[in-house]
Amino acid sequence: MPILLFVSVTLIAACGLIYELVAGTLASYLLGDSVFQFSTVIGSYLFAMGVGSYLSRFVVRGLVAQFVSIELMVGVVGGFSSAALFLAFAYTQGFQLILYAIVIAIGILVGLEIPLLMRILKNRLEFRELVAHVLTFDYLGALAASLLFPILLVPKLGMVRSALLFGIINAGVALWSTYLFRDQLGARTFLRAACVAVLVALGAGMAGAERITQVADNNLYADEVIFARDTRYQRIVLTKWKDDVRLFLSSHLQFSSRDEYRYHEALVHPGLASLPGARCVLVLGGGDGLAVREILKYPDVESITLVDLDPDMTRLFSTHPYLVTINQHSLTNSRVHVINADAFVWLDHSNESYDFIVVDFPDPTNYSLGKLYTTAFYRLMAKHLSAQGLAVVQSTSPLFARQSYWCIVETLKQAGLKTYPYHLYVPSFGEWGFALAGLSQYEPPEHLPEHLRYLSVALVPQMFQFANDMLPVEAEPNRLNDQVLVRYYEHDWREITH
Amino acid sequence: MNSTRRQFLSAALVGLSPKTDRTVTGGFVDDGHQLGHLLRDRATFPRARQTIKIPVVIVGGGIAGLSAAWRLDRRGFHDFVLLEMLQQGGGNARSGQNEVSAYPWAAHYVPVPGKKAELVRELMEELGVLRNGVWEERYLCFSPQERLYLHGRWQEGIEPVTAATARDREDFTRFAARMNEFRATGQFTIPMELGAKPSPLDQLSIAEWLKQERFTSPYLRWYINYACRDDYGALANDTSAWAGIHYFASREPEEKGPLTWPEGNGWIARRLLEKLARYVRTGAMVHHIATDGKKLRVSAGETDYLAERIIFAAPSFLAPYVCESAPPIRNFVYSPWLTANLTLDRAPRERDVETAWDNVIYDSPALGYVVATHQSLRTYIDRTVWTFYWSLAQGTPAGNRRLLLEKDWSYWKEAILHDLERAHPDIRQCISHIDILRLGHAMARPVPGFLASEDRRRLAEPSGNLVFANSDLSGFSIFEEAQYRGVRAAERVLRTLQ
Repeated sequence: MPILLFVSVTLIAACGLIYELVAGTLASYLLGDSVFQFSTVIGSYLFAMGVGSYLSRFVVRGLVAQFVSIELMVGVVGGFSSAALFLAFAYTQGFQLILYAIVIAIGILVGLEIPLLMRILKNRLEFRELVAHVLTFDYLGALAASLLFPILLVPKLGMVRSALLFGIINAGVALWSTYLFRDQLGARTFLRAACVAVLVALGAGMAGAERITQVADNNLYADEVIFARDTRYQRIVLTKWKDDVRLFLSSHLQFSSRDEYRYHEALVHPGLASLPGARCVLVLGGGDGLAVREILKYPDVESITLVDLDPDMTRLFSTHPYLVTINQHSLTNSRVHVINADAFVWLDHSNESYDFIVVDFPDPTNYSLGKLYTTAFYRLMAKHLSAQGLAVVQSTSPLFARQSYWCIVETLKQAGLKTYPYHLYVPSFGEWGFALAGLSQYEPPEHLPEHLRYLSVALVPQMFQFANDMLPVEAEPNRLNDQVLVRYYEHDWREITH
Repeated sequence: MNSTRRQFLSAALVGLSPKTDRTVTGGFVDDGHQLGHLLRDRATFPRARQTIKIPVVIVGGGIAGLSAAWRLDRRGFHDFVLLEMLQQGGGNARSGQNEVSAYPWAAHYVPVPGKKAELVRELMEELGVLRNGVWEERYLCFSPQERLYLHGRWQEGIEPVTAATARDREDFTRFAARMNEFRATGQFTIPMELGAKPSPLDQLSIAEWLKQERFTSPYLRWYINYACRDDYGALANDTSAWAGIHYFASREPEEKGPLTWPEGNGWIARRLLEKLARYVRTGAMVHHIATDGKKLRVSAGETDYLAERIIFAAPSFLAPYVCESAPPIRNFVYSPWLTANLTLDRAPRERDVETAWDNVIYDSPALGYVVATHQSLRTYIDRTVWTFYWSLAQGTPAGNRRLLLEKDWSYWKEAILHDLERAHPDIRQCISHIDILRLGHAMARPVPGFLASEDRRRLAEPSGNLVFANSDLSGFSIFEEAQYRGVRAAERVLRTLQ
């Protein structure tokens, strides 16, 4: 008997913490500034728990019945909290008001739980034992929840379902309590019926969670800036204008949801489709998982290693409910290994070789990033290419930054690689360039994966043709000790903007 | 239960309190002067417990001593020991390491050697820095190499250009042309001994020469004064014009450099020490050298070495305190230095240009700082180590040595922070640790008349069985001179032993 009791203590403690984490995480996702969101959510939640504990003194009769109804209320409010918050953000102006109302409501109810439970149990155990056990299991539950939440729940279930699942657990504990404490309970039938009703409602929510997320998503991003976060490495900003979602890293555009397929299909397929034997692929940069999404279209590719500096970036694109729809959950695919490391150093210490390497770094706007476009880097990259392997390098615009583009091509050549420069038009970027590089001859592919939105087999060879205003110009190679590229780049873009 | 959670929470929120200046830890890391003062004060040393007969003893484990050992070993001669006073070899090329980075304690670069610098090239080939005539890119100083803080902003390069007038530019152009003329004479060579001829330029200071030649630009005069302070630890007023010109007219770099490593020339010293480990005895201070029949008796700690030849590669000013038969050493002036390694938990905020490898503040009494992590392949660097160099050139060397010993660590810490604060107002929020090394006799100073000095020439001209090898025989302390002197001494010893 006591052990069963304590299991329910563990469960309700876990539920309490999960709702708190859901609220904090959602607020950080949707509003940014995670320190502020978590602090205020935790603060108001703990304060509300205090209020709940105080209010417990006014509950005098029918303790078990009250406990069961409180559990049900926690189950309903907590279980639907995540869905409610998504919808509130999408449809109302008062997201924060609703956020704190929900947090305080759950806090008060959870604050009532333990005092009531202790009073219910007070005749069954010695007080000393009781306090020790209840609190032990309470904290155990909190630990379990805090570990489950980031490791299992958010990646596998998502926010909406996680909250609903724990709502179901709360309601389950309520129903179970009507059996556990049946000797202290008068009218049981009504309570049990209520429990079942709540369970059914939450179960239905679980089944319809996908729809709830979609409904919310469709209206979620009405603001121009829908997400902003400073990570250790950069500022991640998502903006939305009508159906166009754009990602900016440290104020440089990374993609627009309307035309990113052009960019990423062109980045991956001309190279990878020409390598039918490719098994191991390396992606350097590209923490948005969009290049990986394209690579996953090749069933023969056995392993994809993605190396991106910023763990916040890859986490965001593994878990954010909207962003995982764009990259089709590519980063949580079992063939994909995400590594958060500085690419140059990581490659320097790696012994692996790859059939295809995608190099998708931010433009060389400063000397730190410029290191990733040097002869030293490309020589190192060449060492990690298999004999027939190819690398593709994001190489800025051959039209707007013509000398920078041809400087990158020249740098690849100086590193001892054969180069095959090509380009395409991406509306949000303009004319954009890539360079394939390898130790052996390149032939355009004869087949492409099905259902591509932009590329066709006939189009690929055309991409290697450059118009007169993009033809090669003289450029020095970019070297660690003489980073001409950063100066070319600055000069090229200054020409455009003046 | 709530109170424990609250305590936990408040602990987690401490990080949100407003930023204040950090507490800076650190101290002096002096290693040599206590030992040196034992010699100066003619302390009594314990009698030897054992005598080892060995043909050759090298005294001093700096670059000169290590180069002598390197040459002996490469010539197939293995019957020698190298005695180093300190626990760590390397001399002016010694270095340190903390959890953030390795860093230099003194010399931190070698200019890329030209075709004629055969010895340096030979060593660099052996160390894998030069391969098939190509310099390994990661050992060449990365872009951006240098910057200067002038008129409230950073500019690229150390030659002052911010607010330079036509007159300034004209002086710089004329100065460069004059230096080319001097270079063409073939007298300004590295090693200096190969080209140096008695010269009237040695009879005046470089400051006087500038006046004679009517170079009036304050920027040019600052620049030349800076070069003298940086390379010789002396003001332009105290530097022989011949040596001042040598700095500018001796090199024709074939590659953008210099060669550098996080730990500066400590990288070379470490590699040499690894190769020559079997000969090196650290913590072995030579306190007496006396003739013993036809041999020389070298007393170091509790061991006497009975040697046929001694290569004295320690600073020459020590010789009279150690050797019974040392020739007189007059007119040898040594510059006192202070080097500090500053650990930064974050980089200060920057506005104008990116942090360079070498960062100089115009009109500062110090020389600026070198960034130890500059040669890192990482693109994102937050914690770093700066090596702050300060040659105490103003005033007399003896007075400055006294100052170095009298003032405590806090005094120097404040002086350093105060100096940096002009260019980095938030520096006190960045630095967490400052280690300071005081070097009373850091390097020889090429004062007017050094070239003609009879004592210097006598010491440099090897005779008998005690051969001097320190770079101070050249009048200035640079890597190439130390290596040359060491190698030359080794060859002389090999010749006379056979």
